[in-house]
Amino acid sequence: MTRREAVNRRRGILLMAPTVLALGTLTVYPGVWVVWLSLQHRHPIFGVSRFAGLDNYTFLAVDSRFSSAAVTTFVFTVTSVALEVVLGVTAALAIHAQQGGRRVALSLLLLAWAMPAVVTAKLFEWLYHPTAGLLNVALGGHALNWLGDPRLALPAVVLADVWRTMPFVAVLCYARLLAIPAELYEAAQVDGAGRLATLVRITLPMLGRILLVAILFRTLDALRAFDLMFVLTGGGPAGTTETITVYAYRALFQTLQLGFGSALGVVVFALVMAVAWAYLRLLRTSTVTA
Amino acid sequence: MRSRAWFAPLGAFLVWLLMLGGCVGRPEGEPVTLVFKYARILGSADPLPGLLRAFETAHPGVRVKGEALPWTSDDQHQLYVINLEGRSPGFDVLMLDCIWVPEFARAGWLADLTTHLTPDELAPHFASAVTAGMYNGRVWALPWNMNVGLLYYRTDLLARYGLRPPETYEELIAAVKQIRDGERDPALEGYLWQGKQYEGLVVNVLEAFWANGTRLLGEDGTILPEPARAADALRFLRGLIEARLSPAWTTAADEELSRRAFGDGHAIFLRNWPYAMDLFQAAGSAVRGKVAFASLPGRARGAAGAGSTGGAHLAVSRRSRHPELAVALARHLTSRPAQRAIALGAALSPTRRDLYHDPELVQARPDMPRLDGLMLAGRPRPVTPAYLLVSSTVQPEFSAALVGVKSPERAIADARGRLNYFLEGIR
Repeated sequence: MTRREAVNRRRGILLMAPTVLALGTLTVYPGVWVVWLSLQHRHPIFGVSRFAGLDNYTFLAVDSRFSSAAVTTFVFTVTSVALEVVLGVTAALAIHAQQGGRRVALSLLLLAWAMPAVVTAKLFEWLYHPTAGLLNVALGGHALNWLGDPRLALPAVVLADVWRTMPFVAVLCYARLLAIPAELYEAAQVDGAGRLATLVRITLPMLGRILLVAILFRTLDALRAFDLMFVLTGGGPAGTTETITVYAYRALFQTLQLGFGSALGVVVFALVMAVAWAYLRLLRTSTVTA
Repeated sequence: MRSRAWFAPLGAFLVWLLMLGGCVGRPEGEPVTLVFKYARILGSADPLPGLLRAFETAHPGVRVKGEALPWTSDDQHQLYVINLEGRSPGFDVLMLDCIWVPEFARAGWLADLTTHLTPDELAPHFASAVTAGMYNGRVWALPWNMNVGLLYYRTDLLARYGLRPPETYEELIAAVKQIRDGERDPALEGYLWQGKQYEGLVVNVLEAFWANGTRLLGEDGTILPEPARAADALRFLRGLIEARLSPAWTTAADEELSRRAFGDGHAIFLRNWPYAMDLFQAAGSAVRGKVAFASLPGRARGAAGAGSTGGAHLAVSRRSRHPELAVALARHLTSRPAQRAIALGAALSPTRRDLYHDPELVQARPDMPRLDGLMLAGRPRPVTPAYLLVSSTVQPEFSAALVGVKSPERAIADARGRLNYFLEGIR
């Protein structure tokens, strides 16, 4: 190592230090603390604080409320992300194909996304109102019990989430569509490709990587979904809309079971990390092959 | 009319305060700021700012800052828990939902008020409200306002069919059938109550338990001591929905959803709190002059009906830097003149019994004397520091029985199993 290299290296470490320090105090320290808490029976109200080993986790393994929340989280994530991607791409293509009024369309689209989740939830609460709600009025006499029927409540929450976050996918895709060089389309035209062939062979493959990024963001958000169900249904009826995060909130902040609640938090964390890791691998391999 | 009715009690109150002012001495020095956390009061006029100013007038050098709590009960609880567990000295006097008092007292977050009080000071309040502010035989919070579950009914509809308000659920069901057969209005619902998965569901199920002669926690702390009776109560509630005596959307109904439907004239009976009456009698209400309330029904050959009590208490934070003044403020706000002003200006019911027969109050709210007896007969939810743990554990189970994804027996058995596990962990 030359002297110059050594100086560079020292400077590098010095420049990295603030970031490492900030991440350490803001992310690593609380993270480790939560894992430590999850290994304890901790109830500040009752002055209980003792080491529990894996007790909290073994209870989770047999806890029917936890398995129900895990299934709900999974179903919510898969259906909402799938619908958001399909509708988002469709919306992006539709706006891209439009001759005029693109800006208006984009602004309208972003309006839904810009709304805070709680406001969206309140809005949908009115749409789903059993007697005066717009949806039931539109359905005529067939009043549906949107938020009180265990078969309808989760779809109702998914619908609200799709309405709110589909624009995010649409805007990302639209930006990518603008960047596809026109020559590609011209070449396709010269080769005699029809509209469907152009879409399947050129447009969708070009959208591939940005879609992967959009799906990554949306999946991570959906896995931690909280506000929509918390406001709309409170997790009911019969716990059918309770995600792991809502369960963790109830355990941590409502009933102050700090140990048990932390165990739930650790599970959400592990889930999110696993998914992020899988996506990042996918993203890397697709970069190599592209 | 309302706004003029204001001045007399307020004036009398100010005079009373001036007299009181001389009694409490305080060493000269820095100005003191007391922080009072409370939920915004809805009603024709918020009497709180006036009451706080009156306290300042009586205590020169003291400033009282009223800080509004978040809107929902969950958020209020969370704010308190984070600040109190974090030992923040951020507030002196706090408004507590009565179900939190044992919890906060057990956690050591509240100042013990027992020694500050004279022996008979709490005697004028409803005994159940006083009990709700106590834990381990000590007083931790002063009763501020009170609630009780009531059965609202449409006087015009009942009169048309020559019916008296039902004393049992069996009578209520018969009345619903008779009135709906006669009215032939498909939009007219029978009996509305709260079945959404939240705290209100627990209240409604508790009332069904009591009417069926059982309870959630036994005297000795056993959980659901009579599972068969409890399951029977759940089956009865589920039956109301299945027989369409209550609408299908009962499983998504909270107080406001059911209150609006009844207020629009779309139902015969409603279970709700006293606040609803003021809204039903307000100008422009579709049911104005056609509504009355009675005790919740009991079951034939079962116990008499009783409404669940609720309400708010005022407590003093153990971290308060001015405990003496904070106690004085809590006493001032729960005093007879203050509760009177609040009952006149807002739709909150006092915890002091004699106010229910106060001529001016009765003139403004003619139902006050009837409410007295119903408040007296009301029963509290289980008084335990683990109340929220109990409630949030049973909510999904009760909801599952109501929507029919679990049999009542299964729901009760699951609730018992889970509660036993969690309560074991805090012993």
